Formats: sequence, C-alpha cells, structure tokens
Amino acid sequence: MEPDIVPAPRGAPRRPAAPVLVAEGLSKQFPGVKALDRVSFDLRAGEVHALCGENGAGKSTLMKILTGVYQPDEGRILYKGEEQRFRTVLDAPRMGIAIIHQELNLVPHLTVAENIFLGREPKRGPFVDRKRMTREAAALLKRLAVDIAPGCLVKSLPVARQQMVEIAKALSLNAEVLIMDEPTSSLTESETDQLFQIIRELKRDGVGIVYVSHRLDELKHIVDRVTVLRDGAHVWTKDFQQTSVAEIVNAMVGRSLSSVFPQRSSRPTAEVILKVEGLSRRGVFEDVGFELRRGEILGFAGLMGAGRTEVARAVFGADARSAGTITLHGREIRVSSPIDAIAQGIAYLSEDRKHDGLAVTMSVMENLTITDIPAVTDRFGFLRPGRERAVAEEYVRLLNIRTPSIHKTVKNLSGGNQQKIVIGKWLFRKSKVLFFDEPTRGIDVGAKFAIYELLDRLAAEGIGVVLISSELPEILGVTDRVVVFREGRVTGLLETRATSQEEIMEYASGLPGAGSRPTQTLAVTL
Amino acid sequence: MTETQKDLLQKFAALATLIVLSAVFAITSESFLTVGNSMTVALQTTSIALLGFGLTCVIITGGIDLSVGSVLALAGTAAGLLVQAGLPVWLSMLAGMLVGGVCGWINGVVITRMKLPPFIATLGMMLVARGVALQLTGARPVSGLGEDFGELGNGALFRIVQETDGGFPDVIFPGIPYPVVIMALVGIAVAILLSRMGFGRHIYAVGSNEEAARLSGVDVTRVKVGAYTLSGFLAGLTGCVLMSRLVTAQPNEGVMYELDAIASAVIGGSSLLGGVGSITGTAIGAFVIGILRNGLNMNGVSSFVQQIIIGLVIIGAVWIDQMRNRQR
Repeated sequence: MEPDIVPAPRGAPRRPAAPVLVAEGLSKQFPGVKALDRVSFDLRAGEVHALCGENGAGKSTLMKILTGVYQPDEGRILYKGEEQRFRTVLDAPRMGIAIIHQELNLVPHLTVAENIFLGREPKRGPFVDRKRMTREAAALLKRLAVDIAPGCLVKSLPVARQQMVEIAKALSLNAEVLIMDEPTSSLTESETDQLFQIIRELKRDGVGIVYVSHRLDELKHIVDRVTVLRDGAHVWTKDFQQTSVAEIVNAMVGRSLSSVFPQRSSRPTAEVILKVEGLSRRGVFEDVGFELRRGEILGFAGLMGAGRTEVARAVFGADARSAGTITLHGREIRVSSPIDAIAQGIAYLSEDRKHDGLAVTMSVMENLTITDIPAVTDRFGFLRPGRERAVAEEYVRLLNIRTPSIHKTVKNLSGGNQQKIVIGKWLFRKSKVLFFDEPTRGIDVGAKFAIYELLDRLAAEGIGVVLISSELPEILGVTDRVVVFREGRVTGLLETRATSQEEIMEYASGLPGAGSRPTQTLAVTL
Repeated sequence: MTETQKDLLQKFAALATLIVLSAVFAITSESFLTVGNSMTVALQTTSIALLGFGLTCVIITGGIDLSVGSVLALAGTAAGLLVQAGLPVWLSMLAGMLVGGVCGWINGVVITRMKLPPFIATLGMMLVARGVALQLTGARPVSGLGEDFGELGNGALFRIVQETDGGFPDVIFPGIPYPVVIMALVGIAVAILLSRMGFGRHIYAVGSNEEAARLSGVDVTRVKVGAYTLSGFLAGLTGCVLMSRLVTAQPNEGVMYELDAIASAVIGGSSLLGGVGSITGTAIGAFVIGILRNGLNMNGVSSFVQQIIIGLVIIGAVWIDQMRNRQR
C-alpha cells in the first residue's frame, strides 16, 4: 500500500497536514454507563495527538472503537476522507491503523520475525518463505535502529525490546495511524528516550500517532496536540504549545487540585519497627539492609530492575532468600512463606493489582476479608454473614471505596477503587508493616491524592510504611527517608528533606550528574 | 442487565432446559411422569451428581479430576474384597470411601508438591486406580457379597408395602431410594461448604486468582489437596453405592463416568478456568443428563443417538455460557 500522504520534509512546519483519521460524534453505551457521549476527535498525518483523561474517562472505549473492537452506537469514522465501518478487529490494521496495547500482544514462543509477520507470513507456494520473512524483519528493525536479531525468541527479550517488536509489526502493516496505549509504563528512562526518538522518526515519515499516557510530563517531548476526555465527554482539544500540564490536569479532574501531595501529619520517631540485615538472594540482590521507624514513610527508589520489588517480596516470604535476618519490634522472625509473614503482621501490596492483588471475579466483600477468613468465621468454620458484611461496609466507608454495593464484582471498579480494596484487606488483617509497591500506578490523579493521605494516616497510627516507587516526585513528596537501590544493592540512604531528584538519580544510576541530563524523563505524579 | 440478573438468567436457562425436557418427555412417553420413573431417574442421576459435586470443588480451584471413574471402581472393589474377607459391610464400605479419599489426596499432593498439571496427575491416577482394581480382582466381578451389601444401593426410605390377599407384596409407594437420599444430603453439605464456610471461600479465591490468594495468606496447597481429597472421597462413596446397587463389586464399573461428571458441572455453569461454579448448577446439570438418557430410552432412541444428543447439549450449554461472558 502506497501512502497517499506525502511525508512532511525535515524542518518544514508540520501544521497544515490534513486529518487522516476523523471521529465524529461517537457514542457508546454500556450497561449502566455511557462510556462515550458524542465525542469527536481528529488526527493529522505526522502529528502526535495525546489523549488524556482519568481512568474511566473513555480513552479505552474511544481507542477500541477506532480499531474496530467495539462498534459505536452513534457517530462515524472517516479514514482518509472516507467513511469506514470496522466490523472486525482485522479491518482496521489491514487499512493501516495499528494499535500497540499496554499489555503487549506477542507470542512468546515464536521468533521476532514470526511475530512481526504473524498471520501475514510471506509465502512461497504453500510454504512460509522464511528467508524473505527474516530479511524483511531485519530491514524493519534496522529502520527503528534497534539491535534485535529477527531469529531470537520474543520471550528472551526484555519488555522494552518487545515493545520495539510491536512497533516493527505496526510498521510492517504500513501503518499510517498508530495508537499507543501507555507505551512507557514499563520502560526505563533510556528506553523511553529511545522510544521518543523512534516516535519522532515516525512523525517525519507522516505517521499520525495517538498517544495515551498517564505520565503527563513526558508529553512535552513529542506531543503536538492534546485532547482531554472526562466522564465519556470531550472537554477540549488544544495545541500543546498553548496549554500546560497543570491545565490538562485541571481539565481531566474537572476542578483544580490545590496541591499534589498532602500535608504530612505523622512524625518519625527513633523506634525501629522493622530491621532487615544482610538480605540476599543469589543473582538478584545482595547484602541489603534497612531500618523502618515508627511513624515514618520509607521510600525505595531506583531504576527498573534495581531489586526493590524483589527485596520486598523476600521480606514478605513470597520469594526465597539465600541469607539475611528480619527483625520485627526487636524480635528476629522466621519468614519462609507469605503465610509466615502475614502471621507476623507484614503485608506486601503488589505492583500488579490484577495479577496478584485481587481476585477480580469475586466481590468487594470477598476480596476485603480474604486475608483473615478466621476473623469472619465461627469456631466450626462457618462464615458469619452479618459480621462479614459489617467488616466490608466498615472498610468501604473508611477508605471511601466507591462501589454501588459490597457484593459488586471487583473487576467493574476503577483502578483507584481497586487499589483501595487491596489496602483495605491488609488493614483488616491488622498489619504492622505494609510494603506498597507502586501503589499509584495507573490510577487517577484524584485517587492518587487519596492514597497518599492514606499512607500518611497509616504512618501516624504507628504502622510501618514502605513506599516503592519509580516516580521520584512521589518519593520526594511523600517519604521521610529514601533507600536507593542499584543493581541489587543499597547505594544510598537519604533524608528526603535534604535530597533532590538529581542526587537520588546519581545513586540510582551510579553516574555523577545523571539526574541533571536534559533528556531524562522523570515521570511527574500529579 | 445487572450481574445478579445475568446469573439468575444463567441458572434459569439451565433450569428451563430441565423443565422443557421433562415436559417434552412427559408428552412423548406416558410412563415418564410417574412416581416410579421419577425415582428411577433420580437413582440413575446419583452417580453423576455425587461425582459432579466433588468435581465442582476441584473445577472451581481451576483444576480437573479425570480419575473419579477409576477411583470409584477401586473403592467399590476394595469394599467388596473386604466383605469377602469377612469384615462387616459398614466397615468395608467406610474403608472403600477412605481408599477413594487417599487416591484424591495423592492427586492433590502430586499436583501441589510435584507441581504436575492436574490433567496429567489425574490422568495418571485414572490408569493406576483402574489397573489396581483389575489386578486385585483378576478383572473378575466380586460376587456373593450377601444381601446386606445390597442394602445401601437398593433400600429405600418410607417404602410402603402392603400384603395383598394372594400373599404377594403390593408396593403402594416405592420410597425414596437411599442413593437419592445420600445424593441430596451430600449436595446440601457440599453447597454449604462452598458458600457458607471459610474453606469454600478459599476454594473460590484460589480458582479466581491463585497468586493473589497465596499473597493474601491463603494456604493454596492445603486448599487444593482438600478439594482433590473431597473429590476422591466422594468418588469412593459413589463406588460403594453403585457396587451395592449391583450387589457385586465390578472392577470395570465407572468407565467414562468422569466425563459425565465434568459435563454436569460445565452445563451447570462451572468455568474450567476456575473461580466460578455452584452445587445447584451441577445438580441441575446432572439431572439434565439423567433425564435426557431416561427420556430418550423411553422413546426408544438408541444409545448411539443418545451420545450424539448429549454431546450437542454440552457444547450448546457452554456456548451459551461463553456468549453470556462475552457480552461486555
């Protein structure tokens, strides 16, 4: 397929390009909720158009309609000036509209080349032309300037590399429209830089890109226009130059946020709740030690893969450790499984809520009480329905979980409310130490604030709080002290009040001055 | 439509199928809707239902148990051999059920400790248990077990018999056969276990999200071993009841029963992906299969055609379930 839109030459002003994809008045009704309400949207060739909105604002629904996953109830889609109806998920890609999902859609046991041409393998007679497939895959990867062998298995690649394979796949479709859903959520900073470089190349080639990200600070590197959605409705579309991150946030939440982080009310004391010494897991982390004091929030900072999550999981007994002692309230404890850790009052809130935090097919109540079933059963093991309902209602109220009923299935709730349920179930268990692993990932701006307030309240009540976060502003805004990890070791212990993003980055990357590089794209939490 | 409504619809759909089937057979065959035949249907359904109740627990954890048909045979022959060896009937049958429980426990241990997929572990047990049953008996039925051995399978509660003038007994009410009573009691007990007890909650949690359950402090190993042990124990119970009905211990009994039991759970709305299922559903599913067999028999439909129809019903039921889940 020949692109019929001439790519803008280098250096030329990219403003005048005609819209390649236009959505007019799209509406979509789901049982009980109007997911999209007469939303219009257009994408020009060679531009990056950011789609912003809280969870549940309608971004996903819009993307799914644009790619033919859902059919709109009202409205129409114009692609290159012609009205289109995408009846199946195959129609849109065939016409050059590709989507890269947040959760990558690759087949792990096939090679890179096989994945790129999956379902469209070049043939020689009835057989797959492997030579040609490998050659063309290599050419695509070369265009992206990434060093991946077409013959290696996808499962052997790190996530960032897999994302490049997805992009190569989109390019192989001669995509003129590329929709990227949270492409940087699992990338390190240098990988993010690399991705932006590729996005700029694609822009130069005239590809229109719809860009969805919760990390608003990174928009400035690539974005031309911004559209904000709220509660299924279109709020406004503006040139990025004529707006600001603050204005975008205000439009997303529909009110102005007075401050990003709450005032801390808890005061750190000298009393040590949890002490970890010489903790090691062969090949993953080594000789890690830290102290958690009563009333404080301790941050774990570091780059992706520095070992923060692994250390927390080892303290929690979810993974084995090869050495190290754990002391809780002055007494050394034996932890060899989560059951041991929970019995001692240690809890770990996973970074991946859906995968290992919640039983999404079960109700709010059932998820809240799962950590301590004996507390809601009688001595014969029978559940006490009245007691259980009372517990669930108490935590729903305490944490302000927005759900129509405690019997509602968890999968239908928003990310922020799901996170609150995960927190609730550990409060119900009367935990003494809570490890929060990326608790605000993928949740609304407004809900983040509520989570921060909760962390503070827990610390004030004497519960030990460890916050693992990749977002440095969050670490700086919420914690009292920061443990910095690099390649499985603790490289720094910093007083939050006396440190800066730059200093943390130096310890995290091992490079002096690393934090002040202009290309650094630290996620901003709002 | 809310979820509760949808769930009701699902349950209602299975129940409606049941009612429609009964209505059709009542019209096509005069003797279908009689007290006697109803009891026959219930009796024929007991084995599928009892196995299905245990399997439902296993399926909710996200597993499968292919061994129940063979375990049933092993447990029944074990009971028969023990009676032959001179043990009292009740003790032999208890021992038979325990044999079933032990087989299930072994399944659970192999799955959780040796970390084999349930399909493989229970496939192995299916062959081993059948092999042991055949080896112990030399593949011959164990007979001459005495009238007492037949009581559990052939006796009935509230049977009313009147002597007629000619001295012949006249059955006024055939009574509720003991197997049917057992099926009802076990069904209620397992339903309570699943919906009203902490252990049941853990079974659902493990099936819904095993890793989340583990990280929430649920003893996943214990829950799974418990579910498979229960399934094995109920297979053992089914074996004793079935052999008692035949008053003979048959090492070849129960072949392919596991598939009927799985089908009843699936028709009743259990998801093989785990986390979803109920005892009422499985009971309805078991009766759908039982009534189909009985009604088709009475209408003179050959057993080959019966297989075809039941196969289509299973596919249809799961298809409806999938449609329901896809509507989001």
